[in-house]
Amino acid sequence: MTPSVSDILVGNFLCMAEPGPPEQQGEFMAGKVAVVALLSLLAAQEAERGAAARVTENAAIREVLSEATADYALSADWPADPAELTIGGLDRVNAALRLALIGLHEAVEARGDAARHDRILRLYARMADLRRLDLPPLPGR
Amino acid sequence: MSLTERLEAYLSRIWSTPVTVSDLSRIPGGASRETYRFAAVAEGQAHPLILRRDPPGSLIETDRNLEYLAFESFHDCLPVPRPVAMEPEGAELERPFFIMERVEGGAAASPFTVVPYGEHARTIGEQFFRILGTIARADPTDLPLARVAERPAPEDCWRIALDHWTKVIEDDQQHPQPIVWAAIRALRRRPPPPAQAVRVVHGDYRTGNFLHDGAGKILAILDWEMVHLGDPLEDLGWAMDPLWGHFEVDKVGGMLPRDEALALWREVSGLEVDEPALAWWSLFNAVKGQAIWTSAAKEYRDGGFKDPVLAISGWYTARRHDQILAEALLRMEGLS
Repeated sequence: MTPSVSDILVGNFLCMAEPGPPEQQGEFMAGKVAVVALLSLLAAQEAERGAAARVTENAAIREVLSEATADYALSADWPADPAELTIGGLDRVNAALRLALIGLHEAVEARGDAARHDRILRLYARMADLRRLDLPPLPGR
Repeated sequence: MSLTERLEAYLSRIWSTPVTVSDLSRIPGGASRETYRFAAVAEGQAHPLILRRDPPGSLIETDRNLEYLAFESFHDCLPVPRPVAMEPEGAELERPFFIMERVEGGAAASPFTVVPYGEHARTIGEQFFRILGTIARADPTDLPLARVAERPAPEDCWRIALDHWTKVIEDDQQHPQPIVWAAIRALRRRPPPPAQAVRVVHGDYRTGNFLHDGAGKILAILDWEMVHLGDPLEDLGWAMDPLWGHFEVDKVGGMLPRDEALALWREVSGLEVDEPALAWWSLFNAVKGQAIWTSAAKEYRDGGFKDPVLAISGWYTARRHDQILAEALLRMEGLS
């Protein structure tokens, strides 16, 4: 999943480490600091929940694929999660699972399999919820 | 050579008089153009101006000719700044840019804030949807924009728009996105009716892309970089996307109840709102959003992770649009 939480945190460092030209100080720098602060807050959520969300999503996709193995002649050799549950490792497995899910959904739609179509749509809602990032109520000006 | 010196050299050349530039300052927000405010002094007179310059990397690849001509098309009838100059090859500034007059005393709301318009939400919302109705009412034939904008046939508007943003996702996707692909297939299975009229589509008409004076008046409609001709329901769907709702589910754009917004748009535009067609354009806009955020994520990586605006776009807003898309797909099937 891009950008990853480590991309974000490295980016926060890089964008603040280089001093900008004079015309990019003042209001622009204040805006930049505000965005970096917000990214750091969201990165804290991702650091806390990101690995668990991926483990859960990967298991949920495997379950849907497994249920469809016989009906759709799927190969059933879905990749397992890595022994070390790093976000990068889980994302590599997630990418393979998501590709398989896209393929299954296309086949389901082509066949007009309404029950499985609904099942996949509900899975999408769950996946999106697992990955959600919650903004705090930031006041307008 | 500093940017100030480059601006002085450019303006002195095109105005054929010595120009000095002062108070050059970059404005935060936006990742498709670098935006600066400055004052140009020529023959004793100060001109408050805005520079919009292409960045080395961009949130979206857009046509600055169209953007410039959109300002030219609407500055005399809507709160839109007057354009001053454009250089598609960059001239003294090395990267493509255009300059427009600066509108003083305005603020743009961040879409990530709550209650940004306070007690003026209704007043601003009424202007917001009236202005959008005015854009949708305009016959593009005689507008400067028509000189370069392609005019699609009414029955092709949806396909051109969907093909464009689908290709962006195809090109820039770095991690498989099953939700947006399901939405794209759903849109192709159930296309909308032909556009009732081919009109100017602002392309990014939403809260945060206009200046207001803090007392209930819209001062300037900005960010025309995605302007094109197409189905005017496209803008309506984007303006009402939940991403821009400031977390208020009973108001669109955090300003007005949906029915009131649509009534105003109908009255001013002289066009109808076909609800199934609007539902199509609403789902389309969530796809379009996801395409923009997909590009932002790629650009963030390719650009060395240095622009935090690309980071927030490619990360938070992408996740939020996945939620919006998933909910819309469930609704479409009567599952929520």
